[in-house]
Amino acid sequence: MLAPAILVLAAVSVIPFVSLIVMSFSHVRLLGGVTLTPAGLENWTTVFGDPATWASWLRTLEFFVLAVGSEMALGFGVALILNALRRSRTIVFSITLLPMFLAPITVGLLGNFLLDPTIGLYSWLLRSVGLLAPNHGLLGQRETSMVAIAALDAWEWTPLIALIILAGLTSINPSVLEAASLDGAGFTRTITSVVLPSIAPILLVALLVRSMDAIRYFDIVQITTGGGPASSTWMISQQLQQKVQATSLDGVTTLIGQASVIGITMIAFSTIIANLFVRLLSKRERDR
Amino acid sequence: MSRAHSPLAPRTAPGRAVLMALTAATLLAVTVPLVWMLITSMKPRSAILTALPTLDFTPTLVNFQALFTGDSSILPYIRNSVVASLGSTAIAVVLGCMAGYALSIWRSRAKAQLSFWIISTRMAPIAAVIVPLFVLFRSVGLIDSIAGLMLAYLTFNLPFAIWLMNAFFAEVPASLREAAQMDGCTPLQAFRRVVLPCAVPGVVATAVLCTVFSWNDYAFAVAFSGPASQTLPMSAGSLITQTGVDWGQLCAIGLVTVIPMMVLGLTVRRHLVTGLSLGAVTGE
Amino acid sequence: MTNDVQFQLNRRQLLQFAGLGAASLALASCSAAGTGNIPKGNGSWKQFAGTEINFISENTAPSAAIAANSKPFTDLTGIKVNISQMQLGDLVQKVKLDLSSGSSQYHVIYADPYQVMSPLSAGLADLTPLISSSGYPKVEGGLDDFLALDAAGRFLSKDKLYALPYDCPTMIWFYRKDLFEKYHTRMTAALGFDPTPSEKITWEQYYQIADWFNRNAKSDVAYGTGHQAKQYDSLQCDFSNVLWAYGGDYFGGTDLGPLGSKDPGKSTLTDDAAVKAATFYQKLLGIAHPGSVGWDWDGLGQAFAAGQVAMAPNWHEYAASAEEKFPGKVGYSLLPTGPARSANLWGGTGIGINANAKEKEFGAAWLFVNWATAPATQLMTLRSTVGGGTPTRRSVYALPEVKAQEKWPSTMPNMVTTDVVLKAWEPDFIGLRPKVATWNQLNTAVFTELSKMITGSATPAATMASIAQQFDTINAK
Repeated sequence: MLAPAILVLAAVSVIPFVSLIVMSFSHVRLLGGVTLTPAGLENWTTVFGDPATWASWLRTLEFFVLAVGSEMALGFGVALILNALRRSRTIVFSITLLPMFLAPITVGLLGNFLLDPTIGLYSWLLRSVGLLAPNHGLLGQRETSMVAIAALDAWEWTPLIALIILAGLTSINPSVLEAASLDGAGFTRTITSVVLPSIAPILLVALLVRSMDAIRYFDIVQITTGGGPASSTWMISQQLQQKVQATSLDGVTTLIGQASVIGITMIAFSTIIANLFVRLLSKRERDR
Repeated sequence: MSRAHSPLAPRTAPGRAVLMALTAATLLAVTVPLVWMLITSMKPRSAILTALPTLDFTPTLVNFQALFTGDSSILPYIRNSVVASLGSTAIAVVLGCMAGYALSIWRSRAKAQLSFWIISTRMAPIAAVIVPLFVLFRSVGLIDSIAGLMLAYLTFNLPFAIWLMNAFFAEVPASLREAAQMDGCTPLQAFRRVVLPCAVPGVVATAVLCTVFSWNDYAFAVAFSGPASQTLPMSAGSLITQTGVDWGQLCAIGLVTVIPMMVLGLTVRRHLVTGLSLGAVTGE
Repeated sequence: MTNDVQFQLNRRQLLQFAGLGAASLALASCSAAGTGNIPKGNGSWKQFAGTEINFISENTAPSAAIAANSKPFTDLTGIKVNISQMQLGDLVQKVKLDLSSGSSQYHVIYADPYQVMSPLSAGLADLTPLISSSGYPKVEGGLDDFLALDAAGRFLSKDKLYALPYDCPTMIWFYRKDLFEKYHTRMTAALGFDPTPSEKITWEQYYQIADWFNRNAKSDVAYGTGHQAKQYDSLQCDFSNVLWAYGGDYFGGTDLGPLGSKDPGKSTLTDDAAVKAATFYQKLLGIAHPGSVGWDWDGLGQAFAAGQVAMAPNWHEYAASAEEKFPGKVGYSLLPTGPARSANLWGGTGIGINANAKEKEFGAAWLFVNWATAPATQLMTLRSTVGGGTPTRRSVYALPEVKAQEKWPSTMPNMVTTDVVLKAWEPDFIGLRPKVATWNQLNTAVFTELSKMITGSATPAATMASIAQQFDTINAK
């Protein structure tokens, strides 16, 4: 029963992956189909010797921490709120879920529109309360562009995290919580000593779900800042995309090979992160 | 979802006030952009390009009309999107159920490695795999075809479906399956008649999430679709013209794109919660 | 069931999969672009009736107009044309995949001279045999009727023509006539020169005017000048005007603009003139509308239409949206002059044919290219409600019904810029980017480094040095 799924997965992921590896050691000629000539380690040394690639990794980490961090924190908060609601829970919950159904490209366009320094609703709101200098836009400033991008991502994906965490919260045995409150534990104590430990596995799953996408994150940045200003939002996916984009048809190119190297390092990085989470998760399970 | 008073809920009046305030803040944060999109979609151009956001305008449906009329109507895009996402979802769910079930009852050392490999296939950066996938698709004639898009969407839908369904089936007690087999069911019958029905919420949650992911895809659609297979998110991209962005129409398209997904998601919300919570609780 | 479950994917099977992948890679490399696919033709417009072709285009006014109404073409030829419009970045990717895989998913291609034609010319068909063939309708008015034919259609040599000019947006000076009139006397007195925009104004004076608006006209307009300075193609375009005005350039060779080069040589961006241009540009952006660093051309067009800036270097095709908001109150001029000249960046594009296109589609594609660039079609797009367009035919500008619309109020608002752009296209004033196959990479280097410069994290000299060094590395390969 596993076979059909494995076959399909192999076709759509193993073949491209192996091709990536092969291309990463090759010069590629695109015209009239793809032809490869061996290039040794050249692509690898070029990519690893390129400060722009390292800089884009830094930006990726920055985004990762900002976006995934705020999604986890806000998601936990929203889940707590929803968990505490009674009659209005269903309706509030339904509304809260809405952003996760938007296409990322729509979120990007909406972000452009709401944060536009000239006509943007949010620019105007932030200006009115003095948080934004007149005529400035969040996306157009080096200092705020990354925050704005992360906020857009958080707006779209916090609901998913909240949904997962809420499921964890509702599965905590109420008597445990009752016991804690009888012991005189306050709200904060209950959260830190009872709630968080018991939903730790679910937090890890939520983290895993978002982390996988955060590293290859692309649509929203491309449509909003394009990586700028001053490369402040130029992440590893931009670096990869730009290599593919800049390839010319004439003659042999090293760019596809370099893009492959970046692709492989991205996959490696995600795998390490995922492995880490999974390990933590299974350690937790064993400890219990 | 139980409506019992949660022990984590505030019991004092100030506590409840804080809860209400936080709820209101959450709702505002979520809805303001959406409502503004709705309002803008009904604005004439002149009321959009104002330095101060305004609510003083005569609502109009021209932005929606423009989407559905003329030679550049988005109806074909909608059709392509529906077929591609439902097709991909159907395949992902069927294969995902089979593989997820097999994984859940498989006892082997290699299981952990295999399931990790499955989920790791979902992490590949799309931009990097586009060139090899394009060559592959081209050699089998899948460029500019809905079938090609379905297959491309499987790269992210299938691992996800296997992962979720595996978690689901793991929740179904082994004794149930064994009892069915003792009653004379073949393993396949036991799966179809006993195990699968227990996992319906999981199937629904998986199907909905797969539909949403493929419906919203932009990167694969840009690379692999052609004149005969363009999808809805691409129509949004095509509205960013050289001579200015038509925000009214963009908002209209954004709404047309998202409303079916919202309806779908909210109708099966209950299953989403159960589905994801189970998937999450036992996830590997 | 137990058998099913025991599925294993061993190492050897994995390798076989990999082998399959490699084989398919090699298989796809068989076909190559040829020219033996041009059908002879019988001279008629109807000869390919019943054929269906695909046209891939950037979202641009003439394409929008043709997409909204392709009936005239179908009536004339019996050919059905499907138009896919998208952003330029997406287009470049799709065209590249299409051409490189030896397929012809798209038959007619919007061939941006810099991002599509130069890097991908090997996949585009030479149109010369079609133009001279008696089997096809003649190009009305001949090739001489086209503006900027070399820039839009040729690469490396005069022998081949890859595209016919399709549109030609050009950067000129947009300004708010009402504001310049209102403050004329005060500005003249304060600045010591007549600020009325023309190519006689220097860039230094442009700066002073912008600065004056910033200080003295806040009640009417937020900032004097605005720029399309997002970390994107638009930033390179905006900077190029200044670079050339100061006598700098990306490379030293001549003819790089009209024909391009395989080997452009070392970059000349470290020359004094280029560094002076960069220094001025940094200073200018320092007083520009702060939104500028986040605006591409859309953002700037929107800001101008929202009355945020008094003037801007802007594409002339944005006249329509500017006039919509400020009817009759927008003035146009050539861009200011630097120590060398007034340079006005030309952003035109041609449409060409996929060299992989087969027989009938190839012939039909040529009929479409011929028809879409014909004067009558350009007049139609000018009149279209969704179009506007920027005609590439001299004869269109001479038509009485077009000439009548050159003054406001106009039913063809882009035409109010006619006087200015016709002059901007003269050899002394036109600004042409270098056509080299590596342009997409060079362009990224330019706008990435410039974006750092204008946000204050790099000096002009260091910026030019860094770009020049990247150019040389890229072109050395």
